[in-house]
Amino acid sequence: MNAPEPNLHGIAPRTGELARIVRVNEEIKAIVATAFRINLMALNAIFLAKRAGNAALGFGVLSNELRRFAQDLTRHMASLREMTSGSVGSVTGVVQQQRMATILAAALKLSGDGVPGAREARRRGAARLAEQQIRLRSLDLRLRAAVEETQQLVELGGVLARSAKIEAAYGGSFSAALMQVSTDFAEVIAQIKRSLEVLGKERLVKD
Amino acid sequence: MKQAHCIYQDEEHRWLAIARDASKPGYIIDTNEYVVVHGEEALLCDPGGIEIFPAVFSALSAECDPTRLAGIFASHQDPDIISSLALWLEFKPDLKCYTSWLWQSFLPHFGGQDSTFVPIPDPGMTIRLDGLELQAIPAHYLHSSGNFHLYDPKAKILFSGDVGAALLPADNNDLYVQDFSRHIRHAEGFHKRWMGSDRAKRDWCERVSRLEIDMLVPQHGAIYQGADVQRFINWFAALEVGVLRS
Ligand SMILES: [Fe+2]
Ligand SMILES: [Fe+2]
Repeated sequence: MNAPEPNLHGIAPRTGELARIVRVNEEIKAIVATAFRINLMALNAIFLAKRAGNAALGFGVLSNELRRFAQDLTRHMASLREMTSGSVGSVTGVVQQQRMATILAAALKLSGDGVPGAREARRRGAARLAEQQIRLRSLDLRLRAAVEETQQLVELGGVLARSAKIEAAYGGSFSAALMQVSTDFAEVIAQIKRSLEVLGKERLVKD
Repeated sequence: MKQAHCIYQDEEHRWLAIARDASKPGYIIDTNEYVVVHGEEALLCDPGGIEIFPAVFSALSAECDPTRLAGIFASHQDPDIISSLALWLEFKPDLKCYTSWLWQSFLPHFGGQDSTFVPIPDPGMTIRLDGLELQAIPAHYLHSSGNFHLYDPKAKILFSGDVGAALLPADNNDLYVQDFSRHIRHAEGFHKRWMGSDRAKRDWCERVSRLEIDMLVPQHGAIYQGADVQRFINWFAALEVGVLRS
């Protein structure tokens, strides 16, 4: 019984997973906020096109489409958010299980290998951990699939923004104002694209 | 490093004290854990906190088969008493945890499920350990509002939780109280501050005075034996408790 006592403070807590979820959530929140901005911008664009009358008919149609796009995007983000908030429970389970397994392993090691019940306890712990990791992994897959779907939607948004730029050129005296609006659209959509790329790279579990 | 000391043995009936841990970090209060072994079963009294689980587990395993653990007795709800619950359950999922009914829905925050807990009613109850009958003795408000001690009439040992606790200097590693009047100085501040009810204290003193006690074993500090047991009860009966400063 001369083994040194394990210092539990030396066992690094596995906080990486939760930190990742927080990052994913923050990214989603940023996209939701941007989608809201697109919605407002599209509304303004619709009014602007109405005022421009016949010269901006095409622009008006595109603004309506962009507005619908913003609403679709918000819906997508809401379901992504639901997924990540659900994953907090699973990740916490994994983190807890890992911490318990580490402390229990330290206890079993201190007691020498022959402790009755040690093997069963280890096996039970490993099984529970594996089960939780499988759950987390499938959540991760679903999250990735959802991000990809959203990326396709945003591609469509990009096309709409580019077309709006072209239409703005035919806006007559409203051309400069319409051009400004369509440039804003393009910028905001590029921003969303970047956020989605970051999201697509995040993994809830390490492989 | 914590070690289990046998403080009582009569054939298949033993009490182990896992006491005084000189190697634990100084900012964690030192605790004693006790194991009652009878025949094929063992009961762990106040298993302690998460941080000291490896030390307690290995000390216990050195002296008794940990798969024989049938239950845990939690005198009350404090973290230094029972925050390691989830880890013990991780080792043995069917463990029963005996605790005041008052804490039955609080302790699951530390671990366990509905079937883990055996609520002890306010007047106390008998806890059976492979044929041995142990008594949960009420000690409410000393210091917790739902608080029990554990009496073993055969071994004549009373596990008294925080009652009798002494915060001893680091260089004092005696398992038993050596000099009562010197020892009790380290218990005075603790009892005055932590024990909240004078009436509860008098009730308890009266109740345990009726018991035959060879050893009074607290959760912190050294063990009272022989004449020191009654000395402690008398001292406690006379002490003014529930005061912020003396
Ligand atoms: Fe306490
Ligand atoms: Fe305590």
